[in-house]
Amino acid sequence: MDYDPMVMDDAESLGPVVKISQADNVRVKFELSNADLSFANSLRRVMLAEIPTIAIDLVEIEENSSVLADEFIAHRLGLIPLNAEGAESLLYSRDCDCDNYCEHCSVKLVLHAKCTGGENMSISARDLVPAGDRMHQTLGMPVIRDEDGLGPLILKLRPGQEIKLECIAKKGIAKEHAKWAPSAAIGFEYDPHNKLHHIDYWYEQDPKTEWPPSEYVDWEEPPAEGEPFDYDAVPNRFYYNVETSGPLGPDGIVTEGIKVIQQKLAGLIHELTEGEGGDNYDGPRSPEYGGGGDGFGYSTSYGGNGGNQSAWGGAGGTTPFGQTPYGGGGNTWS
Amino acid sequence: MNAPDRFELFLLQDGEKKIVETVVNGMSNCSDFTIKKEDHTIGNLLSERLKQAPNVMMAGYKVAHPNVPELFIRVQTDGTVTPREALVNALKQLVAAYGQLGREFQKELALRQYADQGENGDGSGAQGGTY
Repeated sequence: MDYDPMVMDDAESLGPVVKISQADNVRVKFELSNADLSFANSLRRVMLAEIPTIAIDLVEIEENSSVLADEFIAHRLGLIPLNAEGAESLLYSRDCDCDNYCEHCSVKLVLHAKCTGGENMSISARDLVPAGDRMHQTLGMPVIRDEDGLGPLILKLRPGQEIKLECIAKKGIAKEHAKWAPSAAIGFEYDPHNKLHHIDYWYEQDPKTEWPPSEYVDWEEPPAEGEPFDYDAVPNRFYYNVETSGPLGPDGIVTEGIKVIQQKLAGLIHELTEGEGGDNYDGPRSPEYGGGGDGFGYSTSYGGNGGNQSAWGGAGGTTPFGQTPYGGGGNTWS
Repeated sequence: MNAPDRFELFLLQDGEKKIVETVVNGMSNCSDFTIKKEDHTIGNLLSERLKQAPNVMMAGYKVAHPNVPELFIRVQTDGTVTPREALVNALKQLVAAYGQLGREFQKELALRQYADQGENGDGSGAQGGTY
């Protein structure tokens, strides 16, 4: 049973290749090649579910004479996208030393409106006002992208009705609740000609005419007429379409996703190489290792402060990636 | 009502160890790794990478139940390395590969922005060339 190491060495020496076909402040479309399906899919899964962002998690309602129930409004508030750039400077509430929440692990927003005029009044995300001590100026502010600068509509008030509430936004990941998802959608596809037969198209007469062609058909060679099925073929080129809902820039989602998956893997390396002696994990712990010398021997060169700052909008894009993928000062794994 | 807290999907409980190795009796150079609070994201990634390693004979994973955040990976090597070493090697390769992906992405993004700005001075990032 000899394995041909050449196959792997080749892939290893080249590594993943990226080609970006579109990038703006809402989406980034790119092709990842020279990688295998598991590598590409893990990135997709992490971008969907495990990037830390900020969302309203606690709502204290003081006055609500609107027609909507308190919990209904609380749910709507939770789903409002808040700016999460710089979220790594915020602690998870469960890891914080404070009793309930504090400025190190939460952002406070208040909403107070009363309809005094004669017409119905719309309350939107713009009306959420930051309050209390704030560590970071823009962190936790509602994302407002519409032309009128209003943001998502929260509720409407009839003349004489009043709403007064206080929101506590906390850091979390979409695995706990979808309100923490940074992405609106992540498109992921490969093999536009279905040469690998991973898709079994339903059809009446001919799937080729009944199904719309993929956006990427021109990127890959169509199968030759009468070409036999290649049993050994594996997918190698993957097309992503990462669309943000606002908390991070689309490029920030990709770089943060890479960072999160590296931290996961590095955490496992640490556990495996430290032997049984390590008692680093004797308590519930949020899925964010690193964070600067808290007993973990490695540090990724990602992150740092402006690490996930979107290169779009905001002062120039500094690349968060250093020379080595892991630890500048890391003394582990050797 | 009696549903487990959602954070139990990714937060280690008191006294839980992230990863535990159990040597498999009756199979040479074979170990099972139980990783708590992980899922297919890490499982598929690791087992696929292990299968590509020259000194790994067999690797596979399962997430036994979708509600139980526990990942099981079995690795058998040819004896030149231990399963633990094979796993650590796979992990290191993956960290490096994702690091390269990140740098590639940053590089390409800078190029893309530069190209977009060249084509339409407003920098709105409208669709540029065909690539």
